[in-house]
Amino acid sequence: MATVTIKIKRQNPEISGKDKPYWEEFTLKDVDPTDRLLEMLHRIKWEQDGTLTLRRSCAHGVCGSDAMRINGVNALACKVLMQDVGETIMVEPILGLPIVKDLVVDMEPFFDHYKAVMPFFVNDDPVPENGRERLQSIEDRESFDDTTKCILCACCTTSCPSFWANGKYVGPAAIVQAHRFIFDTRDKASQERMDALAEPNGVWRCRTIYNCTPACPRDIQVTKAIGEVKLAIRRGSPTGIIKAIG
Amino acid sequence: MASLVLTLKETLRYRGAIGQWSWVLHRLTGLGVVLFLFLHVIDTAWAVFAPESYVEAIATYQSPLFTIGEFFLVACVVYHALNGLRIVMMDFRPDLWKHQQQAAYYVLGGTVLILIPFFAKMGLDAANHYTSDPFVLPISEVILAQLPFLGFFVIGAIAAVVIAFIQNSMADGGAGAVQIGGTGSSIEKFWWSFMRVSGILIVPLVFGHLAMMHVLQGVFDLTASNYTIIGTSTGSLAAVGDVLGNGINDSGTSVEFVAERWGFLWGGVAIWKVYDIALLALVVTHGFNGLRYILTDYTMDNPLLRRTVTNLCLIGGLALLLVGAAALFSSIDQDAIDLAIEATRAMTGE
Repeated sequence: MATVTIKIKRQNPEISGKDKPYWEEFTLKDVDPTDRLLEMLHRIKWEQDGTLTLRRSCAHGVCGSDAMRINGVNALACKVLMQDVGETIMVEPILGLPIVKDLVVDMEPFFDHYKAVMPFFVNDDPVPENGRERLQSIEDRESFDDTTKCILCACCTTSCPSFWANGKYVGPAAIVQAHRFIFDTRDKASQERMDALAEPNGVWRCRTIYNCTPACPRDIQVTKAIGEVKLAIRRGSPTGIIKAIG
Repeated sequence: MASLVLTLKETLRYRGAIGQWSWVLHRLTGLGVVLFLFLHVIDTAWAVFAPESYVEAIATYQSPLFTIGEFFLVACVVYHALNGLRIVMMDFRPDLWKHQQQAAYYVLGGTVLILIPFFAKMGLDAANHYTSDPFVLPISEVILAQLPFLGFFVIGAIAAVVIAFIQNSMADGGAGAVQIGGTGSSIEKFWWSFMRVSGILIVPLVFGHLAMMHVLQGVFDLTASNYTIIGTSTGSLAAVGDVLGNGINDSGTSVEFVAERWGFLWGGVAIWKVYDIALLALVVTHGFNGLRYILTDYTMDNPLLRRTVTNLCLIGGLALLLVGAAALFSSIDQDAIDLAIEATRAMTGE
């Protein structure tokens, strides 16, 4: 049962004096090592300052609502245990998206990039004769298995220095989503996605910095996925890229 | 600018792993090399077009400010080369991502390992030079000698802004976000491949250049009299004459040094000219496109600024290619060497 200090970067555009980002410190007693950071933020909001604003839905690492920068790295507050973050914790909103209030950012620009890569299955061919699913080999399915796990929390995109510098850059998350469909052998719109991503604000803005990979709470190999999309665009086709590189 | 400041500040605050710091170092070392490249290509062209200016330029290279700068330059080149190979490897084999951190440490270790003998030799050369009571150009004159480059930069910048204004009045912002059905330019695909292929080609060329011009034989040897120039072994005389074309810097002028190297024929081919043409073309294109990457990353939200910096890189790269190529396709005669001898006498007051 330890005491911890949580420093939160806050901002409320509607109240003068608080419309610029400022740090506020909260002290919590009786913190268990196995408590999660999200619970601590709840305790602050419910016991100390009801105006503290954050976003969370499922609180179990599935919905991706509570992405924030914790001790300098992006993570989901609901997946961070207190034993892993020390006794003084810095919490701030993810960077690169407009701040709405405190830890809540406007996700619209992020979702615009997501929509821009056609994140839906495209295949207008007639369904197979038996009227059932389009079959796919185990190997073909495996080539994009990793990128199906994305929950759109924006941890990767907002850890990327290229995205901080340029909000028009499509960003890691959208490329991961594009990867999921580009390498799906049943999908018919790979070329359109690759054409869009070949533009100046597409994949080439990635400088292979690797901030995105450790930021992913779902352990998606983000930089690898981006690299595979680059190679597919370079070759003009996703066929054989993943098999060729193992 | 706001974008650059924010990114700099947040890169320092974000606790990215070593990959992030490799990226920062890659950019800084790249900028360092491009800055020197800008001086160096123009300076070297003076060996052909303005021998007196070349004599002065080499005198600045042989002053303490540039001696210190040379250590930084060599460190920049070595790190940028090794880390570039790491990036190329990771980009063409994304599945190796688990080894990227390890590779980043190998790059740092490899850089140190290579720099130890390089710096030892360069340090010895510098110590020998400065303890032999040499002529040293005063620092004020060293700095004054760089003013023309500031002038070139200002002229280039003004041209870049003017062209950007015209472009802006003729077309909209361009380079928008990625969109469905987007059919924007895919030229970046070419540049991405070019940077990696040229990078690989540059590595052996630039290490050969470093070894010959900075380590085995350093900047202080450029003006050593009766000095046998590396890579111009006797036997194959150029068609210029006995003194010029014997592989020996008889006059002890930097101009003859260049003339001997570029005039050296191997199997009838001026191999060092070919070598330098290849190095010039690859390094200038790679360097100025890299500069464009850096500058446009932080100006994508401002069409005028983005076009200005793109134009600046284009103008700078083309100018260097033209100046360098003009020098490399010309030849240096005895008159130029005589001018250099006179200029040296006038400068050192002997």
